[in-house]
Amino acid sequence: MKRNLIIGAALTALVMTLGIGQGLIEKRAAAQASNGTKVQVPRFEVDPTFPKPLPNGWYQGMSIGVGVDANDHIWIVHRPDTVNALEAAADAKTGACCSKAPPILEFDQQGTLLRHWGGSDGEGYQWPSSNHGVTIDHKGNVWIGGNGGGDGLVLKFTQDGKFISMFGKKGVQVDSNSTEHFGQVAKIFIDAKENEAYIADGYGNKRVAVIDADTGKFKRYWGAYGNKPDDTNLGRYNPDAPPAQQFRTPVHCAEMSKDRLVYVCDRVNDRIQVFTPEGKFIKESWVSKRTLGDGSTWDIAFSNDPQQKFIYLADGKDERVWILDRQSLEILTSFGDGGKMPGQFYAVHSIATDSKGNIYTTETYDGRRLQRFLYKGMQTVTKGEEQGTVWPKVTSSR
Amino acid sequence: MKRIVSLSGIVLALFVAEGLAQAPTFEVERLWPKPFPVAKKWILGSVSGVTVDAQDRIWVVHRGVDSLQTNEKGPALEPWASMCCFAAPQILAFDAAGSLVTNWEPKETKGYDWPANPAGIAVDAKGNVWVAGGLATPSLAPAGRGRGAPGGGRGDAPAAPPADAQVLKFDKTGKFVLQIGKAGQAGNNESQTNLNRPAGVAVDDAANEVYVADGFGNRRVAVFDANTGAFKRAWGAYGEKPGDETLPAYDPTAAPVRQFRTVSCVKIAKDGMVYVCDRQNDRVQVFTKDGKFQKEAFVSKTTTGDGSVWDIAFSPDQKLLYVADGHDKKIWILDRASLDTVGSIGSGGRYPGQFYGVGSVAVDSKGNVYTGENLEGKRVQKFVKK
Repeated sequence: MKRNLIIGAALTALVMTLGIGQGLIEKRAAAQASNGTKVQVPRFEVDPTFPKPLPNGWYQGMSIGVGVDANDHIWIVHRPDTVNALEAAADAKTGACCSKAPPILEFDQQGTLLRHWGGSDGEGYQWPSSNHGVTIDHKGNVWIGGNGGGDGLVLKFTQDGKFISMFGKKGVQVDSNSTEHFGQVAKIFIDAKENEAYIADGYGNKRVAVIDADTGKFKRYWGAYGNKPDDTNLGRYNPDAPPAQQFRTPVHCAEMSKDRLVYVCDRVNDRIQVFTPEGKFIKESWVSKRTLGDGSTWDIAFSNDPQQKFIYLADGKDERVWILDRQSLEILTSFGDGGKMPGQFYAVHSIATDSKGNIYTTETYDGRRLQRFLYKGMQTVTKGEEQGTVWPKVTSSR
Repeated sequence: MKRIVSLSGIVLALFVAEGLAQAPTFEVERLWPKPFPVAKKWILGSVSGVTVDAQDRIWVVHRGVDSLQTNEKGPALEPWASMCCFAAPQILAFDAAGSLVTNWEPKETKGYDWPANPAGIAVDAKGNVWVAGGLATPSLAPAGRGRGAPGGGRGDAPAAPPADAQVLKFDKTGKFVLQIGKAGQAGNNESQTNLNRPAGVAVDDAANEVYVADGFGNRRVAVFDANTGAFKRAWGAYGEKPGDETLPAYDPTAAPVRQFRTVSCVKIAKDGMVYVCDRQNDRVQVFTKDGKFQKEAFVSKTTTGDGSVWDIAFSPDQKLLYVADGHDKKIWILDRASLDTVGSIGSGGRYPGQFYGVGSVAVDSKGNVYTGENLEGKRVQKFVKK
């Protein structure tokens, strides 16, 4: 059987959903609000066959990190201890299915599970009480953080799971000005040029910390607006209050673009702040500013064109991926919707892209999935358009 | 333009034995049903009932907003907390292609007691829609994170709702027709007016009777007149008198207990045999319509915990029995004559073709299987017969 792909046009969401009448009305309203400006954005379709089922009756828990390596293999980290007694009935000896999968899982482009490891202490290191975030650096090494109480460390392993380095330690108190350890690290980015690791630090601390990627030596750190970080409790986020001069925990990502700007997810403050590698504040922007609770800016990935024109932003509270213009930080469109079907999200937490421009997401809480969204070229949308669930558009070619 | 109707499928484990009905193979239809309209921001809650009507429409009842986590009901919170989502209406019907063809929100109408935990759905020959109410409160607390108080919100936990003791009948448009039992007035195994957390219903159109799986509180099948709601008869396991004595925990190696443990479904085959899910005893018991015990069979007998027999459906030719097993995350395929297990569909997980809390199963006229997932599964899935 052969299928022709229909190249996407505007109104993708309309043809893919029911209730076209009301959808049209709301879209017209949205279009009027944005003056009907048309914008060019990448188009994606969920790949509902990815990944393949895990072997060994393994069950995946809250999935709180995804990264892509130089071979376009997809690495995820999940929390086996969140797989409950019903899900892991084989471990609980109440039924035949299933068992908790190891926390680090590597998939190839076909979605087949390759290597899998982690979850326990080893010679010279302690496993975090709640592993969080996974990144593969330019040397092929695998980095993870940890956001459990007292987790103040990042770990570096080979792809086979052989321990290389532990920076920081467990059993620490929150201290955003520590140069010895971290405070519940969410995610790590490694800058190949300077061989530095940027630590989104974190669920306890309120800063970006930069260390030497080989020695772990602290180099610099900063808070919101480049301010000295301060651990004063800021209370709940209020979208109508003046912008907080500190990050709210968690500081959930710190990603560097090719033109060497550092984009920081200030999740509960619903904003992205942009810095130089030295921590000089450049600009900020809000995404779904009225979002409360867990916040909107969970993780970002850049489009893989040379200019990295677009930011893909995972929003686990509004259950979608926002597409932003990287220069202006303006929202162009979004895809995804709440739900458990392919292309829908519950608590989409982490995001990464591969060399082909495809997007990978993982979901925490009760989402518990890795999903792939295939890049399908560019399309025109009305600025601000909500695309909803992006299913494959396929036609038979006889 | 055509939607994908099939993608490379899930491999099914089959173990076909000599002389038994052959288990068909199935392929999950990953893109079914179609998403709700974007603008509505609807989301499905914990699915507690699935059935197929005479026109092959798939009817679904789900637990609505009460089953949504904080991050699934942001726009319904005060103050507004996020863009996702509103609970979809609790009664939905899809066509075989997955298009939503009917929906209504039973909470919006007064004059009857909508259950705190609607569970089990049936459509009779006239198109009336029956819903029971009273699924056990899930023994499992869903994952803690993401369930906390919404940002800026407080509010005390709502008072516990009255225990469900009722079954409801609506016409096909959602107009209320009949209620048997009264919310908050749970009846015991002797009651002729009330039930105790009934989990499912089946309608005998010819006799104009409704059979109630009663339930998570009681240990009986109760039969009522489908028009008047008048009590007709009831029976317990083995057709004996249902009792309230304390049962020891289920032990697969012990002699079978003489009482139902959890009556989670009742279904009537075309030949008039009545099949009862005794969930936490891991067994199916078969009766005549007047409650005479015929036989029983165990399904995944070593399963403990929530039990293996959550719901039952028949193949169109009545040769096979499909058993939804929410604990083992499978649909078991049984040879109906022998009640031997001949195959299964699915495994554990959150991906298409996998299950979490699969507690409902139904079959259409072509033999396709539909499943509903409770707890945090929150899906309806379609498995196409190959």
